[in-house]
Amino acid sequence: MTVFVQLLTAFLGALGFAVLFGVLRRCLWVAAVGGMLTWGVYLAVDAWLHVEFLSCLAAAAFAVTISELLARKLKLPATMFITPAIIPLVPGGTLYYAMSFAVHGDLEQARSYGLRTLLAALAIAGGISLVTVLRELRARR
Amino acid sequence: MELNKTGQSLLLNCLMEMGDLMLDAGAEINRVEETLTRMGAAYGAFRTDVFVITSVICMTMEFPGCEPVTEMRRIHSDGQQDYYRLDKLNGISRSCCATPVSPAELKEQLNSVASGHKPLWRRLSGSVLAAAAFAVFFGGTPLDGLIAGLFALGICVLKDRLGETQINTIAMDLIVALLVGLGVGGVTHLFPVLHMDAILIGDIMLLIPGLALTNAIRNILVGDTISGVVRLTETLLWAAALAGGIMVALTVLNYLH
Repeated sequence: MTVFVQLLTAFLGALGFAVLFGVLRRCLWVAAVGGMLTWGVYLAVDAWLHVEFLSCLAAAAFAVTISELLARKLKLPATMFITPAIIPLVPGGTLYYAMSFAVHGDLEQARSYGLRTLLAALAIAGGISLVTVLRELRARR
Repeated sequence: MELNKTGQSLLLNCLMEMGDLMLDAGAEINRVEETLTRMGAAYGAFRTDVFVITSVICMTMEFPGCEPVTEMRRIHSDGQQDYYRLDKLNGISRSCCATPVSPAELKEQLNSVASGHKPLWRRLSGSVLAAAAFAVFFGGTPLDGLIAGLFALGICVLKDRLGETQINTIAMDLIVALLVGLGVGGVTHLFPVLHMDAILIGDIMLLIPGLALTNAIRNILVGDTISGVVRLTETLLWAAALAGGIMVALTVLNYLH
């Protein structure tokens, strides 16, 4: 049930950001589905490996891969799809809990959540770069 | 297309405008450099040098038998994505590279893109939907989502108002985060059935510079080191301002309880 709610809200959240960033109307749904699938990949990898960093990395890499495939097919810049797809991975929750624990004086928890936020950000960037670098290597060969 | 000296400087000015608009719509640095270089070549320049960072565009074009023309422009942009505009600009560049139009006509096309304002309804509906969805995504109830959506409206209006005063982004993020934190804290205090954490996270997702951060790192990785580092520093400061605002609000609420 929670998985279903998460996937649905990831879809709606990605749709919201797609509207906000002015993604072309005919691509809105595609962009939103990208966000939902990305979160699906995150959940699947997380259930398998139980390592947040790797799940985030894999999901980000997945998001970029399908976005670039879609972009090529629809002849549009890939960023238009990458941005909404990545959104559910952005660590807003852990950032909030880090701040909340810091304010309540629980520094141990605050540090742990702060570190998780940082690692998630790094994992997203890493996943994106991984695909970008691999593609460039292939293109150069 | 043969251009005289006036035509060349007019064209250069148009290309500055184009780069400015592209950066303002959130285009990547290397994409802007590539587009401007290609446009220069399409108009017959045998050498085009473009240097773009987040805050400056410099460009020199050399046409056969003429002195080189150079212009630079200071850019003020917060890198907020506007793909609708970016798509229009891409269209102009693509058609212009295929069949160059006169600089005056190019100017007109660019002006029509620049005056096409980002529709308010799009920003409002997008923000509300995103904040509401993420409040539920992070464990809130549908009611929490509704409240997060209402606060998202407030964020949009507040950002518009503050944007008019030309206040810098760090101060703006700090003020917005503080007010949202206090507002959400107040509402959840009055109605204990609501969950403060879920609502606040939903609204934080709108303010958090997560995408700017990933873009900064991507810039660094594709070789635009200066822009990447500038943007990275900026986003870390924005995130710190956001965290600072929320933390002050939480501290005040904590004290009042």
